[in-house]
Amino acid sequence: MYAWIWSKLPGPFAAKLTCAVLLALGVIALLMFVVFPWLEPRLWFNEVAVN
Amino acid sequence: MATREGPDDGRENTGPRPGDHTPWRRPAPGSRGQVPRRPAPPQPARRRYTGPIDNSAEKTQVFAPVGGSAEETQILAPVKAPTATKDRPGPAPLGKGGVAIRTAGEVLITLGLIVLLFMVYELYVTDLFSAGKQSEASDQLDGEWSHDRTLHPELVDGRAFARIHIPTFGVDYNFTIQEGTDDPSLEVGPGHYKGTSLPGEPGNFAVAGHRVGKGAPFNDLDNLSSCDQIVIETSTDFYVYKVLPYDDEVDGWTTGKGADPKCKGVPTLRDPNAESGGAYSETFGRKVVLPSEGTAVNPVPYKPAEVLPKAQQVALLTLTTCHPQFSARQRLIITSVLTQQVPKSQAANYTDLLPKIGEAR
Repeated sequence: MYAWIWSKLPGPFAAKLTCAVLLALGVIALLMFVVFPWLEPRLWFNEVAVN
Repeated sequence: MATREGPDDGRENTGPRPGDHTPWRRPAPGSRGQVPRRPAPPQPARRRYTGPIDNSAEKTQVFAPVGGSAEETQILAPVKAPTATKDRPGPAPLGKGGVAIRTAGEVLITLGLIVLLFMVYELYVTDLFSAGKQSEASDQLDGEWSHDRTLHPELVDGRAFARIHIPTFGVDYNFTIQEGTDDPSLEVGPGHYKGTSLPGEPGNFAVAGHRVGKGAPFNDLDNLSSCDQIVIETSTDFYVYKVLPYDDEVDGWTTGKGADPKCKGVPTLRDPNAESGGAYSETFGRKVVLPSEGTAVNPVPYKPAEVLPKAQQVALLTLTTCHPQFSARQRLIITSVLTQQVPKSQAANYTDLLPKIGEAR
């Protein structure tokens, strides 16, 4: 998988590396700002109130 | 040549596949050791660079001799051949199964990393988000208070209307209290259970807060002991509550810890005339209950609402959070009783209040 992605990245090594780092940061940002905030209320361990 | 081909035939059965990677080290050098001896003169230059291309032939050649001790020595010697290192990086081709296994492994590692990332998010990133919201809410509350000093603020869901200070956790410990205990409210800071009393009122002013992540306002709630002060600040007053005696302190409170000047004004709330201790017999400074124990925030904790008329109810403050830490299996309940009310005309701000209530600074 990672080898395949690497092979699809364009340019010389430096360009590939930059691309890969940007990709990784993009994925992390997507998780932190979109996926996790969406997922969190659906999990159970954040309840602090009695009902 | 004849010696090579002979072994070849015999070896093919054992499988060309395993030969695919390992043979590189052994056979390549081995063959090289032999190659220069015979075919070297005809095509010396080509052999060196295109050697790897001939793999299949060479691999099989080498495998055959492995059995004989004589050949093994041949193999070891040529390892030093200059091209040996160049040959090594040649990619070991994986079959379809190999690729599938590798991909599955990569996916699992990725999922593991995502779970780790989620932990980081829960423990640290939500703190950052909540810190921003909290400071915004705090500024807004200060703004409102500077304009308008109404006794009973209008309660709007998710909007801050009071502030909690706990001197035990440090002079700078303060959070705004929002109306409601739903997620958006609790992301800002502690939230007031809708319908429970307001600060200073008889009954139970109940507040929930996160213990892990999201600013974790109630992270250290289990470090409170009886008689520790909790200050609720509204637009007009400071209400000073003190944590009620814990269950092992209730008996002999007046002669025990209750005699401490720090505990001045802290009753056990037990009715000596009633058999079981009266309406507040279940009320302790700290309790760990199941999440379903909604009665913890009743006007008289753990008792039906009608057990005491409003006029006879004591003004309590109840804080709830999850327990144990990092789990939502139970709830930690801290209950305190109103001991003092200081109008803001006597103490303009929290720093002025602290000496008046016997706290340092």
